[in-house]
Amino acid sequence: MTQLQLLLAESLRSLRASLSTTFAATMTVLIAMFLLGVSIALGSWVVSWSNNVKKDVQVKAFFCTENTCAEAVSDQQVGAVQRWLEADPRIKEGGVTFVSKAEALEIMRERSPELVKDLTYNPLPDAFEIQPKRAEDVEAIAADLRRQTFAGVEKVDYGRATARRIIRVGQVISIIFFGVVVLLLAASGLLIANTIRLSIYARRREIEVMKLVGASNWFVRGPFMLEGLFTGFAGALLAVILLLLGKEIALPAILGRVDADSDVQALAFAWTALILLGLGLLLGAAGSGLTLRRFLRV
Amino acid sequence: MTEPEITDTAIPPLSVAQENENGRAVPVAGAAVMFDSVTKVYEPGVTALSDVSFVIEKGEFVFVVGASGSGKSTMIRLILKELDPTSGRIIVGGRDLSRLRRSKIPQLRRNVGCVFQDFKLLPNRTAAENVAYALKVQGENQNSIRRKVPEVLSLVGLSHKMNSLPDELSGGEQQRVSIARAFVNHPPLLICDEPTGNLDPDTSVGIMQLLYRINRSGTTILMVTHDREMVDKMRRRVLALSEGKLERDERRGGYVGE
Repeated sequence: MTQLQLLLAESLRSLRASLSTTFAATMTVLIAMFLLGVSIALGSWVVSWSNNVKKDVQVKAFFCTENTCAEAVSDQQVGAVQRWLEADPRIKEGGVTFVSKAEALEIMRERSPELVKDLTYNPLPDAFEIQPKRAEDVEAIAADLRRQTFAGVEKVDYGRATARRIIRVGQVISIIFFGVVVLLLAASGLLIANTIRLSIYARRREIEVMKLVGASNWFVRGPFMLEGLFTGFAGALLAVILLLLGKEIALPAILGRVDADSDVQALAFAWTALILLGLGLLLGAAGSGLTLRRFLRV
Repeated sequence: MTEPEITDTAIPPLSVAQENENGRAVPVAGAAVMFDSVTKVYEPGVTALSDVSFVIEKGEFVFVVGASGSGKSTMIRLILKELDPTSGRIIVGGRDLSRLRRSKIPQLRRNVGCVFQDFKLLPNRTAAENVAYALKVQGENQNSIRRKVPEVLSLVGLSHKMNSLPDELSGGEQQRVSIARAFVNHPPLLICDEPTGNLDPDTSVGIMQLLYRINRSGTTILMVTHDREMVDKMRRRVLALSEGKLERDERRGGYVGE
């Protein structure tokens, strides 16, 4: 029998011996991981939603018409603005869309037909719709564009208040989400640490004998380390199973069929599952490591 | 099997510890244990051992006597490097403990067998498993475990109770199991902390005979005891501690000084 086999056998033996403590720890990890999984799903959905909303945040550059300036904008002037915009790294690739006055009228007709109905001519200007890579940049882009004072550009605008609010909400949600996750992780780590401590206490006699007969340090610590890893992993695995059941059975029953090809999506379940399992192992190792350092000086 | 009489004293020759000009013991090649002006202070004002020096040669049988709190347990814990001395030097089996890295402590303890008053057996394992456990944790292979365990259990006279749990054994039998566990690797030094403290006089004699036989095979034995009768009968070397000081070191001492 190799040392490794022996170590595994000893760990299993100790797991069986302290079944109730192990069970309690696994359950606490399960609860923490379940909540964490829900937070990840919910949080990533909210982040995705706010990103989706942010997509609508854009800068608009309106060009001159005969009515607003002395003369209408020329194609060269439009071209100059376009070249300047496309050189700006903050702007999304292909994020500059030209909306002609005819298209603008068409859009307006769709939105509010009674307003357009009585128009004798098209008062709307040509415009660029500019999408930044990050919604946070709209203000800066608009300001820079204004400073350039391109000939033919009548007005640079962006949805100031809306943009700010959407960005703000997104940030707050991310921070709260992050805080909750950190709190839950710390709690489960401490719970595992505490369980290992109980387990060390329950087996202090065995540890005493181990030291007495000259067991190497890793031999004394190994079973506890494995126990921590096992607890973390088992708890996470159970949580993943519960989450999967919830996702496949409970959610559709409550919400009905969720639109699958919507732009707003939670993080893929496989990723959530992987994150939870990885974190379970990490928590187990951290929790038992923490306790072993303090309570098992060999 | 005929047990040797305790009074049948074929005492191994005691080599006298050499002393330097300050009257301190100096390291002797082959010493099993050497304390060189060892002081252990737990916290300011609580001195467990103060300036204790002695040399125990290989193959000696040494009693350590003294009232509770005289520093006997501290001495044992120092030898096992469970504690480090505040000052002074300890050498066990040729190793200077102050230079021993923490990772090497298991090696030290494999070379020092330990027997305690409360046996320290694992309650959910049989006698054979308890002995095998010591070998397993030291990485012995299955074959040699299968060979050594019955051998040492028969040495302590427990061949017929190999598969009994500690609860099913008498106190004397449990102590024999713990001696078997301590001795299965044939460590050069065996430390016994009141091995007969929980046993009735007749059983104690049996345990002492066993330890005596182990000593005759060349193993150094350091035995802490309160058993006055035993010490007086055996007439072996006695180290008497009193309030942390080495009060007496007699080659064939009694429990109380002359």
